[in-house]
Formats: sequence, structure tokens, C-alpha cells
Amino acid sequence: MSDLFQQKPITTRRDHMVMLSRVANSLYWMSRYIERSENVARLLDVNLQLMLDFADFNDQQLKEHWLPILCSAGDEKTFFKLYDRANSENVTEFLTFREENPNSIISCLFTARENARQVRDQISLEMFEAINECYLFLKSKNAHEVWKFGAHDFFEQIKKYSHLFQGLTDSTFLRTEGYEFINLGKFLERADKTTRILDLKYHILLPSVADVGGAVDAAQWQAILRSASALEAYRRFHVEDIIPNKVAEFLIFSTTFPRSIRYCLQRIDAELHRLSGKERREYRSQEERDFGKLLSDLNFITIEQILDTGLHQFLQGVQKTLDQLDDHIYQEFMYHPPVDTEAEIFLQQQQMQQQQ
Amino acid sequence: MLLDQYKTEDFFDEMFTEDGGIRPHYQKIADCLRSLDPAEHRGKQTAVDLAFMRSGVTFTVYNDDQGTERIFPFDLVPRVIPNNEWEKMERGLIQRITALNLFLHDIYHDQKILKDRIIPPHYILGAKHFRREFMGFNVPKDIYIHICGTDLIRDRQGNYLVLEDNLRCPSGASYMLENRAALKRAFPALYRSARVQQVDGYGAELRKVLQYVSPPSLGSTTQPNVVLLTPGVFNSAYFEHAFLARQMGIPIVEGRDLVVRDARVYMRTTTGLVPVDVIYRRIDDDFLDPTIFRPDSLLGVPGLVHAYRSGNVSLANSIGTGVADDKVVYYFVPKIIKYYLGEEPILQNVDTFLASEADDRAYILENMEKLVVKSANEAGGYGMLMGPWAPKAEVDSFREQVRANPRNFIAQHPISLSRHPTSCEDGLEGRHVDLRPYILYGEKITVTPGGLTRVALRKGSLVVNSSQGGGSKDTWVLQGDS
Amino acid sequence: MILPNQAADTMSNDAPWTEPLLLSISHLTRYSYEGNVKDSFNEARLQPVTDSLQQCLEFNLHIDPETPIRDYPDFYANCVHYFDVPEAHDTLEVEAKSLVQTNPEDRWEIPLVGQERLESPSVQDHFFDFLHSSEFVSLQAEVWREAIDALPGGLTDVWKDTVTIGEHINRNYKYTPLSTNVNTRAVEVVKKKQGVCQDFAHLMLGLCRTHKIPARYVSGYFLNQHKIPGEIEASHAWIEVLIPGYGWKGYDPTHRRVPDTRYVKLAVGRDYGDIRPVGGTFRGKGTRKMIVEVSVQRLG
Repeated sequence: MSDLFQQKPITTRRDHMVMLSRVANSLYWMSRYIERSENVARLLDVNLQLMLDFADFNDQQLKEHWLPILCSAGDEKTFFKLYDRANSENVTEFLTFREENPNSIISCLFTARENARQVRDQISLEMFEAINECYLFLKSKNAHEVWKFGAHDFFEQIKKYSHLFQGLTDSTFLRTEGYEFINLGKFLERADKTTRILDLKYHILLPSVADVGGAVDAAQWQAILRSASALEAYRRFHVEDIIPNKVAEFLIFSTTFPRSIRYCLQRIDAELHRLSGKERREYRSQEERDFGKLLSDLNFITIEQILDTGLHQFLQGVQKTLDQLDDHIYQEFMYHPPVDTEAEIFLQQQQMQQQQ
Repeated sequence: MLLDQYKTEDFFDEMFTEDGGIRPHYQKIADCLRSLDPAEHRGKQTAVDLAFMRSGVTFTVYNDDQGTERIFPFDLVPRVIPNNEWEKMERGLIQRITALNLFLHDIYHDQKILKDRIIPPHYILGAKHFRREFMGFNVPKDIYIHICGTDLIRDRQGNYLVLEDNLRCPSGASYMLENRAALKRAFPALYRSARVQQVDGYGAELRKVLQYVSPPSLGSTTQPNVVLLTPGVFNSAYFEHAFLARQMGIPIVEGRDLVVRDARVYMRTTTGLVPVDVIYRRIDDDFLDPTIFRPDSLLGVPGLVHAYRSGNVSLANSIGTGVADDKVVYYFVPKIIKYYLGEEPILQNVDTFLASEADDRAYILENMEKLVVKSANEAGGYGMLMGPWAPKAEVDSFREQVRANPRNFIAQHPISLSRHPTSCEDGLEGRHVDLRPYILYGEKITVTPGGLTRVALRKGSLVVNSSQGGGSKDTWVLQGDS
Repeated sequence: MILPNQAADTMSNDAPWTEPLLLSISHLTRYSYEGNVKDSFNEARLQPVTDSLQQCLEFNLHIDPETPIRDYPDFYANCVHYFDVPEAHDTLEVEAKSLVQTNPEDRWEIPLVGQERLESPSVQDHFFDFLHSSEFVSLQAEVWREAIDALPGGLTDVWKDTVTIGEHINRNYKYTPLSTNVNTRAVEVVKKKQGVCQDFAHLMLGLCRTHKIPARYVSGYFLNQHKIPGEIEASHAWIEVLIPGYGWKGYDPTHRRVPDTRYVKLAVGRDYGDIRPVGGTFRGKGTRKMIVEVSVQRLG
């Protein structure tokens, strides 16, 4: 086990800007989970609406539609332990309300709130109140009433909580190290989710030959854009119809759209450098160098090259680099003894070292 | 309208005199309540409750694995103390903490008070929280009790009496501050016109105390690193820990955030290990360090006591203060004050019987159904028998316990506790209250004007503890006497 | 203490040693762990005391892995050393070496002290810790019954009765290595009727305290010259009682005798729990082996 003590010098900093590793960890995950809940909400909202146009789908078609979404947002295995059929109702419920699913909207927000509670002395009162209000809403009867009234309103509400929280973070949180961890969490999650939304096309939206250029295809590509909250932004750049490779290009390469992969990577890069205090383009570990290479690659490759070698492969590569970076951030900044009490008891066999 | 039906019955009432007149220091509040529509009053109450829930001013109750968060019920009608009453109380509290601190120093050094037979030594040496391990140990600036919350009640005549001293990890100061903030929002005009002494200084004062007791080895020019040590987010008082840390601008840490290296305490941060000089600990002695105390403690920090002993870290409160809030020691506090200060106690104790003294024991066993019997080392209203209200089986069980282990019990005549108008289903009714002021001991001793007024919300109940159906009120100490 | 009973009996008939001795003691404790452990925090009570019966001339404590050692006096004036080993390690060695000069008893004659003097508040209050239940010595019914059996007539003279109690234990309890462990309580010893020196000492504390004689636990060593080949020499335990007007006086129930110049005292406390020679905690998985090697050599 890598011991922090041996890796790093004991500092004699006597100011109050130091940040506990545990706190960094909580801020990071609080931020990631809020971003995640918003993405799941958007994905579900868009796809439920999409389904309105395909009311005549049979079971098999429904399954083909929802299964990839399940894979991208949740856990397929857990789902089939709880349900037999992957239809709209079941998938939506699973991804929204089931606490058995650690990535359901409700689980994400409960976890985010729990993390916020653990660092509530660190975040602003406004931020805590926002996430706490969201938690109280989800715990109340009100949530189910809104849900019954219409899924769309419910998802709107979830998105608003996320926007409120992120906005308050921007306007009330100190620009200290903590802010960098919050942003790392947010943009890592966002980049990851954009790759997954785009990857949906690889799974489900592979059009059957007849459908290419047809109504279904167009609707599906449009759904992709809307899932990434990118439809309006896309239209400002491309007045013509929705063209698949343009959509992919936009979601990967845009330097101005705040959910594109490149944009997110640029933000992550900036936070990493702020944290390490290194010059631009200087990296201090293999994981960071891999990440830097990916970011720089985006300057040189084109969408055509990506499509030639395989969009899916490319997206998986991005996800892998992000995973490794996540792991690296944890090891570098947040490592602390296990949180799990049972594991802790196991690790900490406190025996009396005694003798007669 | 709200006060029309109000009855004082046979109790000392904080707002009303015996003949139904308003006490002068309550006049403004009474006027305000009279002008208030009951619906409006309820509306304000709901708004305050919602605000507490929203900002997470809650404590956690564990009935199932989930844990339910509840607000500590807050009653809008403030409790008022005129300045002259307060000044006397303040003097009494300062006298008491001064004497208790001298007592702790003596007990852990020369034990003169035992040698002079003011207190029979077996009471101290046999006390559950007496820490033999710290005999002869010198705490920084000789201060043992940095933070104290003393529970006061008023008898039938309105005299303030000390019910117990909380010298280990007294809680509730955050509610004192939150209650004030809520009341200012609910009744801004009334608050402004009443001219109330402020409580907001508590956090800054506490921080000064903690900095003042930093280890001497640190030198006087270095800013100490101060942290608050919490058992963690699942502790029912976690809100308070986070709140106070925030007020003071210090990190809140859990045991697992701290490590000990070469008898120094460090916290694990994103930039490596950073030294810790003063720990405001909100966990009991027993859990501080598995090496020395309970080996099964996962909340503590292995080696912390080594560091403490080496003088490299200060703890507030010091280890071993629990011996002075043993309820048997409570009995001796008036004598302790006289012994160390040569003064008469300003605040009186409630008359107390010690089960370990033969005469008292006989009296207790004979009159158990008339008495309140308390076990010596429990807090929070646990381990207590309310004789007049208890079922016979419980009385019998306590009788057995007292016989088997007399050292562990004391008894008192029930004090009726003063009552205070409190919002209930049908307007305002009298409910019993106590008062916990907070005393801080650093370079000087300060008492925050007011404190936490706890109120037993159930009709007729005398138990004010939050875990057992208690609520709280804002407490106003006026700048003048009315 | 691993003396077989028979040998103990033989030895108890020896005349007490009165010549001053110079003793060299080495006490090594080695823990080996299965895999690495870390964050080890420990206390050791291994330094011989200095009083009228012995002077500790030299003392040296060595820890491997090397680490700074600090010390403080505990409630009973024992010198406690404490140290920690934070980094990963798979063995821990604690080695104490000391040089001790022992002297014969040269106090005045032990006075007769009856029940009344013993029950005076000055004795009962002053020696509270050594008159009441403690972790290993709980004054419960079984111990009380045994105390009555040992001294049916009740207390008449503190020292005479102390010896009677000690002889009662030595006669009725069988010295049996490995029949008990370090955590065995006095009340279990009464039931088992056997044990080792620690158990005999605990039991004797219980019986003395029941009769209101202040009694404390002593850990230490003694020079064992009647060693059986292959016998492991280890630390020893006995007790001391307080005789008003005289002071503390030792008695060794395992050997039915008063400790003499062969004995070296390490620490005193209410019972074993107060003065474990080495105690502490560590973090780590798996099991742990402990080896203790003690040698007591006569230099002069």
C-alpha cells in the first residue's frame, strides 16, 4: 500500500488553506454525482419523448432501444435482477427511483447530498441548501406527485436542481483547491457522459440500411443532440439538416460548446495544472501524460479519421483515459484509510501486544 | 388572543406573576403576542421549521438502519432574562467553573482536597471517569475545562439552581446561535425594540480559547493549527460539529484524517501531512485513542495520547474532566467552591442525597417514589428514575440497583421547574423549561449572554432532553432590566 | 514463571538470601507478524525500580525498528516508556537490559497490626485502589468464600495473616504451566484451583483485599539457580501488602516466601492490567507470534 507519509514530505504549512484528503474526495464525488444525475435525467427525458413517436414498437424493438441506454447509464445485471422486461416504464423507474441502482437519479442525488453533508463546513450555505432541498424534495410525497403528473416535469426539476447547484457553486464557492476538485469532478463526469451518449448511436442507432436518411434516423440523431443538451447549439453552427458525422464532430471537437469532449478535456487540463502548479503542457505522471496526449491528438485528427478507425473504439479510448485519470487523482490527492467500517475493522486488528 | 386562555397553575411562570400580571421584562413580548393572529403565529412557526429543515439544522435519530433526520423543535416565544438576574448568574457560573478547574488540577496533582478530607477519597478514586493515567500531568495554562455547559433550573420561588455541570463535551451551542438567527427573521421589529445582548461572539471566543491553549512548545509567535474532531457524519450532533467548525473557520476532521508520527499529530491533506496543534474534540475520553483507552474504538487516533503526553498537542476539554461532572462530585461542589475560593457559592445546588451514605441511602430507599434518582455518570436524561411518575416495576428495579451499587446513585426531590408560554396545538400553554448557558475558559472566562433554553414539549413533562421530546427556545438577556 | 510445583516446594524451604547481589537482566520480546503491519503504538514497563531494596544502576531499552523512546511516570510511580513504529514492519523487537544491585531488608521489626487500625479511614481511604475490585481481581462471592476458607478466624494481625493466606494458596493450588493465560481473572483461578505466578498473585490480592488488607501486584524477575535443564526463564509476579506503621512488604505465594535479594521489582499496580510489561496496538492483518527471552545473571 502506498503510504502518504512516505510519498510526501511533512509540510509545516500553518495557514488554513490546507485541504483534507477526505474533503477533496467528498467535493469531487459530490460534484460528479450531481452532474451524473442531470445527465441521466436528460437522457431519459429525451428517450421517453422519442418513444412517443414510435408507439408501435414491439417488445424486441423496445428492448433494442433501451438496453444500450441501460448499459451506458446503469447496471444491466442489477436491472434484470429486478425486472423481466426492458420496456420504457421499467427502465425509467430503474434509472430514476431504484435505490438498488447506485447510478439512479435518486441514488446519485442522495450520495451527492451525503458527500455534501460530510463537508458542509467547507461548502457555502447556499450550496448545501440547494442540494438539501433537492434531497428533501425527493424524500417527500411531492416528488411522486410531480412524477405522476408527468415524467418530463420531474426531469426538468432534477435538471434545475443541478443547474442551481452548479450556478451557486460558481457564485459562492471560494476559488481554492476545493473548487478545482469540484470542477474536476464535474468535467470528468460530463466528458464521460458525452462519450456514452454519442456511443449510443453505435449500439442502437446503427440504422438498418433502409432507414438511412429516413425519419427514424433523423429523429434518433436529433435525440442524441438533445441528450447532450446540444440541439440548439448545433443548429447555430450547421443550418442544414442533422448530418451524423457533423453531430459526432460537434460533440467531440467543439471548442465552444461546454459539453463537447474537447471542451471538457480542456477544462480538466486547466484544473490539473492549477492543482499541480506545473506549466502548461507539463505533466507529472504517466496518467496525466496519457491524458495530455489525448487532448493534443484532438488538434490533429479529423472526424473522418475517427469514423474510419471506428467511433466506438475512439470513444472507448477516451473513457479509458478518463478512468485512469480518475484513479490517479484519487491516489495522488485523496487517498485515505478505507471508509467502509467492516473493512476498517478487518484492517485494524487492534490486538493487545501483551505478555506475561 | 394567543394569551387569553393562558393559565400559570401552581408553577413559577417566567412571563406571568402569581396574580396574572406580566413581568416587566416580558411586556414587549406579551404586547406582540397579543397583537398577533394565531394563524399568523402558526405561519411564522411553519416558516421557521421549514428553514431549519432546508438548511439541515437537524439531528439524526436512529430507529432503523436509515436514520431519520429531525429538526430540534424550536419554539418561537423567546425566554427573557433581565440584566440584573443575568449578572448574578454570570458571577455564579464563573465562580463555579473556576473552582471546578482548581479542583481538577488538585485531583490530578497533590489531592489536597482529599487529604484535608473535604471529599472522602473513595468517591474520587472510585469514580468512573477518574483518569489515573494522567496523574501529575500538566495541561497547558492549567486549564482543564475549556468549554462548559451548566444546566440551571428555577424552583417554585424562581431561584436559579444548578442541576448539573457538563464538563466533557457539552453540546447545543449551535442551537443557541441558530435559534437566535431564526428568531431575528421571524420577529425583526420585536427583537430590535427589546434591546437584547448578542450571542454571535461565541464562535470567535471559542476559537480564541482554543488558540490560547496551544502547546507551549509551539512558541507564542506561531499560529496554531486548530481542528475539530468529530465522531463522523453519523453522529447525532454532526450538524453542530460542522456548524461550529464553520463559525471558527477550522477544519472538521474524523479520526481517520489524523495520524501520529513521532508523538506529533498530523492531518492528511491533498498536499501531504500538516501538523495539528490543538484539537477541539467532540468524542469522549474512552474513544480518543485505542492504544490507551477502549481498544475497540475506531473513532479515535492511535497514538494521540502519546502526542498529548509529550506536550505536542492540546485537547479541549482536557482528558479526565469527567470526574468533576460525576453526580456524586456535584454534591460536593458547594464545598469545593468554599475550599478553593473561600467564598460562599453564588448559585445553589439542588438538595441531593448520596446513596453511598448510610443515612441518605435509608431515606432514598424508603422514599423512592417521591424522589428523582439519577445514576452518577449518565447524561442526556438516561439512567434516571422520576419516582412520582414511574411505574412500580421501574421503582423496584431502581431500588435493587441502588442497593447493589450505592456509589453509582444520587437522589433529589423533584423540582417543579419553572414554566414558560410555549406554542401548542391550541395556542400558548405553560411548559417546563431549563437553561444551559455556555462558559468558555481561556485567557479569561466568558459566559455567552443567554444560552440554550430547553423546553419539555409534552404537557406536564419535566424532561427537556432533545432525545426525549424536548425542544428549545431563543434566550434573551436584555441590556437593561426590562 | 515456569517452575514445576515440586521444584517450587524444594525452593521454598531454602533459607532467605541476605547477601547483596549484582544482577544483570536482559528481557527480549520479539513479535513477528504474518505480513507487514504498521502504526504500532506501544508502552513498556520494563525499567527496574530503585528503592531501599534495590538500585537500578543501568537501564537500556532498544527497539527494532529503531524509533525514539519517551517516558513518563504513571500513577503508581512506575517509569513507563512509550514509542511508536509507524512504517510497515514484519517484526518488532523490544529489548531491555538492566543492571541492578539488590540489598537485604534492613527495616525494623514488622509491627502487629489488628483489624481496628486497618479499618481506620486513613488506611481505607489512602489505599483505596489496593482495597477494591480491579480489572483482574473482582471481589465477588467465589473470591470472598475462598478468603474465609483461607482465614476462618478473620483478621488478627496483618502480616501473620498475609503469610497464612499465601500458604493457603500455595498448599491448595497447583502450579500448572499453560493451564491459564494472561487474561485469566482471579475468580477463574478459584474455580480451576491451578495456575501460574500471575494467577497466584491475583488470587492472593483478592483474598487480602477481602480481609481489608491493602494489597498490590508486583511484576519482576528473580535469580533462579535451581533451573531444570531447558527450562525457560521468564518474568515473575508476586504481591505486596501494606502494613500500617511499617510500609509495603512483599510476599511470593508461588514460592511461599518473602522476596529476598534474588528478586528484582519492575513495577507495581492494582493488578497485571495496570502494568503489562509491553502493551499496545497495531494495524495489520493476520496473526502474530511472540517470543520472550529473559535472562537473569549474577555478576557479583
